[in-house]
Amino acid sequence: MKRVVVSLDWVLLASLLSLAALGMCILYAAVYQGDMGLWHKQSMFWAAGMISFTVLCFIPLRLLGLVCWPIYALALFMLMLVPLIGDIHMGARRWLDLGIANIQPSEIMKWALMFVLASWFATREARGMVNITVPLMLVAIPAALIINQPDLGTTLVLLFAMAALMIAAGLPWRLFGLAVSAGLASLPVLWHFMHDYQKQRVLTLLDPQSDPLGAGYHVIQSSIAIGSGGLLGKGFLQGTQARLHFLPEQHTDFIFSVLAEEGGLIAVILLLGLYAVLISRILLIAQRAHNRFASMLCIGIASIFTLYITVNIGMVSGIFPVVGLPLPFISYGGSALVTMLAALGLVMRVAIESNEKIPWQRPGSPLA
Amino acid sequence: MRNKQLEIRQRFDVRMLYFFAATPMFLGLLLFQILQLQWFEHEKYRLQADQNRLNIIPILPVRGEIIDVQGRGLAMNHIDYRVSLIPERVEDLDATLSTIAQMLHWSNDKVVLIQKRIKHTRPDRSVLLDDKLQWSDVSPLAARLHHYPGIDVQAGSYRRYPFSELTSHMIGYLSLANKEDVDEGFLPSEFIGRTGIEKSFEASLHGHLGHQREEVDAHGRRIAVINRTPPTMGKTIQLALDTDVQQAASDALGERTGAVVVMDIKTGGVIAMLSKPGYDTNQFITGLESKQWQEWLNNPEKPLLNRATQAAYPPASTFKLVTGLAGLDQGSHLAEGSTFCPGYVEFSDRKLHCWKRIGHDTVSMHDAIVQSCDVYFYQLADQLGMAEISDAALAWGLGEKTQIDLSPESRGIIPAQSPYMMAAIKSTQSRRKKWFRGETMITGIGQGALTTTPLQIARLAAAIANGGDILKPQLLVNQPPEILRHVDVKAEHLKRIQSAMRDVVRTPAGTAHRALGKASWTAAGKTGTAQVIKLSSNKINKLSDEEVKRHHKDHAWFMGYAPFENPQIAIAVFVEHGGHGGSDAAPVAAAVIQVMAEKQLHPQNNSMTTVGDE
Repeated sequence: MKRVVVSLDWVLLASLLSLAALGMCILYAAVYQGDMGLWHKQSMFWAAGMISFTVLCFIPLRLLGLVCWPIYALALFMLMLVPLIGDIHMGARRWLDLGIANIQPSEIMKWALMFVLASWFATREARGMVNITVPLMLVAIPAALIINQPDLGTTLVLLFAMAALMIAAGLPWRLFGLAVSAGLASLPVLWHFMHDYQKQRVLTLLDPQSDPLGAGYHVIQSSIAIGSGGLLGKGFLQGTQARLHFLPEQHTDFIFSVLAEEGGLIAVILLLGLYAVLISRILLIAQRAHNRFASMLCIGIASIFTLYITVNIGMVSGIFPVVGLPLPFISYGGSALVTMLAALGLVMRVAIESNEKIPWQRPGSPLA
Repeated sequence: MRNKQLEIRQRFDVRMLYFFAATPMFLGLLLFQILQLQWFEHEKYRLQADQNRLNIIPILPVRGEIIDVQGRGLAMNHIDYRVSLIPERVEDLDATLSTIAQMLHWSNDKVVLIQKRIKHTRPDRSVLLDDKLQWSDVSPLAARLHHYPGIDVQAGSYRRYPFSELTSHMIGYLSLANKEDVDEGFLPSEFIGRTGIEKSFEASLHGHLGHQREEVDAHGRRIAVINRTPPTMGKTIQLALDTDVQQAASDALGERTGAVVVMDIKTGGVIAMLSKPGYDTNQFITGLESKQWQEWLNNPEKPLLNRATQAAYPPASTFKLVTGLAGLDQGSHLAEGSTFCPGYVEFSDRKLHCWKRIGHDTVSMHDAIVQSCDVYFYQLADQLGMAEISDAALAWGLGEKTQIDLSPESRGIIPAQSPYMMAAIKSTQSRRKKWFRGETMITGIGQGALTTTPLQIARLAAAIANGGDILKPQLLVNQPPEILRHVDVKAEHLKRIQSAMRDVVRTPAGTAHRALGKASWTAAGKTGTAQVIKLSSNKINKLSDEEVKRHHKDHAWFMGYAPFENPQIAIAVFVEHGGHGGSDAAPVAAAVIQVMAEKQLHPQNNSMTTVGDE
């Protein structure tokens, strides 16, 4: 215990706690005059998340390396069950009723896949036919199942995490360039397979004013909220766009607009600064880690956070189409918060093990 | 082995650098976009946020009222109550509607109509269910309003004209703002004065809009009232008009077509101004049916025409006073002497008749005015020439707008004003354009091309009574007199005309003696009977035989003032196709003078009529 406390990464913890404080403040403003019960629930989620964070600080990475493959297999099995016995919510079949709880197998798959990829590249580089094809298959099967649900957001997360890990694992740039070109070339095909609501979101992004009271409404209203915040913001609890319900989903996907409206550019810079510290710190831990599995884990986690932040803020400020990804540590939502804190627990464990020099690698491995 | 490991580690470290570089790039992209919104486009979005949240609700001003000299309402505002409904806030529309229908005693047809109206309105917009309700109608509903969310009861006001047809031309009417008014900044629900005083004094009657700035949420629901600028009520206007006099003139005129103007000879205040037939101005407020409007437009009696100011007729013998004054002014020997009236006058190959075919024997100017001898004035006009006559007419305020605050106003025609006639009078070359000697002569007795409005004639009477001041007719009470021009007339000349006018009434031979000889006030005046030459075939087609007969009757005029010793009022009476001035127009003047005299005897007993006293 004492060893763990001594080896903690304090910068990571400080940036996390700062984000927790900022997040709870913004959530308070977002649900103020609304359902204040959500704020209390979110405090409970933070408590639960910090427990999982703490627990993971004590679990040796070696264990994770052992269980990641069975977890992946289980997640894949559940994903296959979804089209057969899954529940439909809002037009998409994503949920599986396990009797005790409804779960999204795609959520589990997101993390399981990252673990197996990290494990795969822990002993290999992303070079050579087999070394690249196997992880591609590991991603392609669940991705095909998830995009079919349909869930474009999670599919993008899988592909992005895979790309990040492959680049970290030394994927030749020309192969990366080839893949990106192929992806761009297949966009029209993808467009063809997209659902109407997804097409509408993309069209809305290109010209929000084309349908100001319809699909463009969310983007216009959140742009107005952000823009009208100005340098200093309208003041805590003083945002008119938030108070008068012009913002859609202002406690979940659009919570950034509340922060930008009430806190202005100052608060935005504060939030982005905290994110910058957090992500750089995770990357630093990745670099200092004493084994590649740990580094790959951290890089995957940093990539997912970066993707979430970019897509969420990009969406509410009108850079990207509306894709339902939460703003890490700020958006209301229990499962997302708890899993992200658990992921940070893993990062912290990596930091602890590097500080303690806990051995993980089998002796004699070429990459040790 | 060692080299391979090192190579892999180095490659990993290089790739890590890309990751360290990528993080600020991603966050920088976001910051760039936020900076764009919050810094460079802040002003635009700030305005949009305000537009989002602020709703500016206009509050209509209450229009100023118009009251007569005694304070009686001529154009009043009546408080009414309106019931409206916002569909999306009503829980059970059908049940609510049936309850309201019961409370307000609607017919089934009306319920169907309202249901249709609700269907065609956006559910977040207010729908007017009923208006012009009294408090007693709405009080049961208003008391239980909290049981019916989405229903609103509001007080408003609408215009009412208690005297309606009696004052229709003078007061005028309102109608809802049209496209041009809206372009000028009026709301479509505002009423604008279209004719009469409602139009001329629109600026002061209208008042100014108030505003209420409200904060609304995304659903348009009012959250709070931020501030409120109350509307400015329009000014109340008090007229010089006395409804009693107006009513007396109307009663005396009866069903006949015509106009009466009564004017204060010192101030020019318009005590009465009546034009018949009138029309019901209240219908413009309650919603004028186009059938009624078409009827008014096509009615050959032209009820929409203000005959006192907008129509010009030959002044007939009342004009002899102007010819007489011109003669005196020119020192014409005929004006000082006398002539023999054989009942006609002959010149070249033509013969003009006096109205009295057997003649008036020897007449002086005094006699010629009292008995309205045409031959005397034919000769006087012949001596004076057309230029002198038209100069005198212009000097006495004929042929020009009186500048009364009612538009449009007719200026009438003085032959010399018309370019064609001007040319004709001067020309000796072209026969076609030649002004005939006979035309000057009939102009001298107020016939022919000469036309005047009743208001001009009333003003002429006032000028004769007040010593030659041409006044601007004043509609408002207690206005200082505005003398547009003083006619340079010798007092002695004026006195001769005045005494002749007095004898028109006083002496048994006078043309107005029978009507006015025994009036409470000593009156002076002049009658006139204007010959109607012929009707246009267009007009004949519209009329029945009986009406054609009536339309060939002469116009009857009377102009004068009273009391003679201390003149107060000038009167002009015009009866279209009324017959003779003495028998048909003068009695109307007598009725007016009677009312004025009684009012002065019993000033406390002001209210002879109770119409419209509410």
